Amino acid sequence: MAEETLSAAQRGKIRRLSQPRELAADEEGGELNIVPFLDIIMNVLMFVLATVAVTFTATIDSFPPKRGGRGGGPTTPTLGLTVIVVPEGFSVKAHGGSIAPGCHDTGSGITIPKTSNGFDYAGLKQCVATVKKESPEEVQGETSVTLSANPNIPYQIVISAIDAVRKDDQGNDLFPDVQFGVSR
Amino acid sequence: MSEQGPTEFKVAPPQKAAGMATYKRMLRQEIKRRAIEPEINFLNITAMMDMMTIILVFLLKTMSQSTASIPQSTDLTIPNSVLTTEASQEGLTVLISKSHIVVDDNVVCPLPADASHGVEARYKKSGPNDLEIVPLENAAHAWRERDRQFRAASGKDPSSSEAIIIADGSTPYRMLVEVLFTLGATEFAKFHLMVMQGAKP
Repeated sequence: MAEETLSAAQRGKIRRLSQPRELAADEEGGELNIVPFLDIIMNVLMFVLATVAVTFTATIDSFPPKRGGRGGGPTTPTLGLTVIVVPEGFSVKAHGGSIAPGCHDTGSGITIPKTSNGFDYAGLKQCVATVKKESPEEVQGETSVTLSANPNIPYQIVISAIDAVRKDDQGNDLFPDVQFGVSR
Repeated sequence: MSEQGPTEFKVAPPQKAAGMATYKRMLRQEIKRRAIEPEINFLNITAMMDMMTIILVFLLKTMSQSTASIPQSTDLTIPNSVLTTEASQEGLTVLISKSHIVVDDNVVCPLPADASHGVEARYKKSGPNDLEIVPLENAAHAWRERDRQFRAASGKDPSSSEAIIIADGSTPYRMLVEVLFTLGATEFAKFHLMVMQGAKP
């Protein structure tokens, strides 16, 4: 069947009707353009992050300090580890006696003397680890330590000493439970 | 010479209009041909905005937890520790700066320039060698009473309370012990010593 041809009028009408309809001004875009707003927010966010000093804190748990005294001793054997911070270094006591320098025998003197770099925290860690290792088996599970210091010792040194006796180099617990002592 | 007759003008016969079906088909084809592909003039960033808002809220919450209660300044610089555990948020906040003891945002006692002997004797119960600081004890006692009732009502052990100690790194040991001893005498049985994470001794 031969193709029917359109008349001029029909072609004109088709041309007119097939024109793409232009959107009215209020029909254009269904959303707000919030790109400038986002730019501002991003700038503010960067500024806030850059200026606020983010600090991450932690807490060390402790218990009320106890006064040193001549009260009756414990009825069961205990290690009774005590670390005393003095200006010359760390004095360590265990089983009721002072530990001599070198950390193997009992005796007087500063157990871990200060070095040229200040307090020897690595030495303290090694010493308390040795004390724990060489203690009788029944007290090796003890995790509490009494920490005392001279009145003028700064808090930062006390905290660093607590850190030193908390864990050994392999990450095993040594003496994480700290109680502060008060000298008489 | 041939005779030429008058010029004849041929009039085109009127074109016959196509049928309605053809007309409509052609119209549809033409509309389709001329249709403009919809242009994307803007990105839909609503989903991204939702995500960013959530991240922002989360970020602000985390930052407020870690920094809000610790005003670091020259008067108060918290000591560093290797600990990386999360800070406890429960308890009475006691702040020991270089110049004051502050309990719950109230200054309770000034500190002397040399605090290695503790606070001044007039703030103590019985002389310079005593460990109990009277203004601190009063403030802690009032807080303890409220906390006792709160703990009893919320099913917690009301026999003791906890305290968060935020002290300057240079605070002398004597000063620290006086504060802890006073709190211990006011039925505070556990202390959380606030430190900064990450430093090695």
